[in-house]
Amino acid sequence: MSRKRLWTVARLELVQRVRTSRWPVVLGAWVVVIGLVTFAAWWAVRTTDVASGPSLYDVTTFFVLMLGMLIVPSLTATTVNGDREHGVLATMQTTLVTSWELVLGKLLASWLVAMCFLATALPFLAWAWAAGGIGFGRILLSLLVLTVVLAVVAAVGLMFSSLTARPVASAVLTYLSLATLVVGTLIAFLLAAVIMTEEVTVTVRGVPDSYWSAEVTPPLDEPQPGLPSEGFIPQPTEDDCTTFTRRQSVAHTERLWPLLALNPFVVVADAAPSRTSESSTFGGGFTPMRWISDGSRDARHGAGDLDAVVDECGDVIARTEAESEDTQRQRDVADRERRDENAVWPWGLGFLVALGVGSVLVAERRVRTPVRRLPSGTRIA
Amino acid sequence: MSSDDAPVPPGDGPTGGPPGGAAGIVVTGVRRVFGDVVAVDDISLVARPGEVTALIGPNGAGKTTLMLMLATLLVPDRGAITIDGIDPVTDPRAVRRRIGWMPDGFGTWDALTVREVLHTIGAAYDLPAAEARARTEEVLAQVHLGDLADRRARVLSRGQKQRLGMARALLHRPTTLILDEPASGLDPRSRIELRDLLRSLAAAGTTVLVSSHILTELQEMADRAVIVAGGRTIETQAVDGAPRALRTWRIAAQDRTRLVEALDAAAVVWRAAGTTVDVDLAGDDEAAELLAGLAGSGARVTAYAPVHGAMEAAYLAATEERR
Repeated sequence: MSRKRLWTVARLELVQRVRTSRWPVVLGAWVVVIGLVTFAAWWAVRTTDVASGPSLYDVTTFFVLMLGMLIVPSLTATTVNGDREHGVLATMQTTLVTSWELVLGKLLASWLVAMCFLATALPFLAWAWAAGGIGFGRILLSLLVLTVVLAVVAAVGLMFSSLTARPVASAVLTYLSLATLVVGTLIAFLLAAVIMTEEVTVTVRGVPDSYWSAEVTPPLDEPQPGLPSEGFIPQPTEDDCTTFTRRQSVAHTERLWPLLALNPFVVVADAAPSRTSESSTFGGGFTPMRWISDGSRDARHGAGDLDAVVDECGDVIARTEAESEDTQRQRDVADRERRDENAVWPWGLGFLVALGVGSVLVAERRVRTPVRRLPSGTRIA
Repeated sequence: MSSDDAPVPPGDGPTGGPPGGAAGIVVTGVRRVFGDVVAVDDISLVARPGEVTALIGPNGAGKTTLMLMLATLLVPDRGAITIDGIDPVTDPRAVRRRIGWMPDGFGTWDALTVREVLHTIGAAYDLPAAEARARTEEVLAQVHLGDLADRRARVLSRGQKQRLGMARALLHRPTTLILDEPASGLDPRSRIELRDLLRSLAAAGTTVLVSSHILTELQEMADRAVIVAGGRTIETQAVDGAPRALRTWRIAAQDRTRLVEALDAAAVVWRAAGTTVDVDLAGDDEAAELLAGLAGSGARVTAYAPVHGAMEAAYLAATEERR
């Protein structure tokens, strides 16, 4: 591998892109759109009492990822078969440039363009950071993951451009593959969750349903201070809790969570979700990355131990406000610990990296010369 | 980094000898099939250093497929190829250093200028930047594209693109040139310049293999002709041997009756061709003897010339039975 030849290929790609497409226009439009979206997000949350930083950051990051997944394939999905169609691929293949240099040079060029787009989004992410509520480490980590995801997207486009003869076909296949990862995995997860839902018998310690119908106190003849004049149900106490069994539906998401891990949006969201002062999922305002992260981690945890006794008593028995808050805090801490143990993004990122590496390997194999077997419908030059 | 990645002289130059085995191009019994189509069935040829070898044949004869194999792009299904003694299948990079390939219809990067195309190719051949720049100016002058050096390649005419393709093939000083229809799209002056360029390169020791349909030009350019048809080698002959080939001559005379009588007297079979007469003669010597006889016959010959050029005649004769 020669760095000079690698850069020769990358530079050639970049010059071609800059000179033949309306690149500055696209970049300008990108900046305007992201600016508008960031501004709209800021406007929407500015009067609420939740931190606006995480909201801005989540919206901007997701938007960058979405636009990146639209733009990056247009750079790579036609690069090999487009060159073949213009008769320049063979010209390069008969020089000292190796198949690896050819493929990696094209990938590098596309990735650099993607990084240009990402760089123009940085001021808006800085705005989100300045709005408060986001750590610098979080920004760094999610940018790193975003960078890898965009490289994988570029690699997938590169692979399809080497596999098909027509640029149109490779572009369609690339967008279909990305749509499968983004939307298909979600649909597959939801459908599979329905299919894999089963009725189970769980043991519950709590107030039985009969309590709420049978324990109605008849109206008193004479109203007493502190008690309603009509009939009421007294707040159950610890003594009212019993152990009983109940039939309920359980979705085995612990078997399906890998489907979510394949989703690039889940990977980016779960890598560095919002951490506001609110410990509950929806307590920190509009933070979609956190919602996705908590949802996917809960899915990975699944139904839990179905043989364990479900303690519902604490939710319904009479308590002081301080006791209730303490119970809630303990529950939130337990939820957070459980979610911390069930991170999804390392698996998803691993899969995406494997997909990217596999795509590059396929592309390299397809541009290697001399060719022994030429796929039907393709010309070498 | 493999030894192939080590800096090397940009091509060994025409004087660079083969690392082992025969210099030039040696093709032995090569076959290449695409699905059900036999593109090359059984082609053998030798193209020697210092010579221009013409590869001629009808459309679909397998010329371009053969050249793709020589250019290290395709693997033959059967047979063997060596270029300066090196097998392009087992050591394609070593072969690439030595060959300059010009495809039929040279494609180029539209956004680059002519000069930038050549700088890019120079970098792809590991030429140091200064040398690539110097070589670019040299080859631009050789193909007479200096005035268009700063034009975008996309605005070039077909002929100008062919000249750029030639410049690209020459840039790294290859020892072997593989040129597929290099004269296609060239104007008459450019064709003459191409012919002179190839002759001078061959004179400097370069192996030149060139395919073309323009046989009259090949005759002036080539030292040896390899005729292929149906994917097979039909005939190989030295171009200076072509005058000994059987070909048709056309004769016009002021007195046609005396002309016919003289031909009959000389036992030459003739055919009427309008107001002229065609005869088949085995080589230039026989044609000269007949002309001398006709001069004394009183037929008053006004025109006496072969219907086809020597290479055309050889080509037509060789491919006739395959029609």
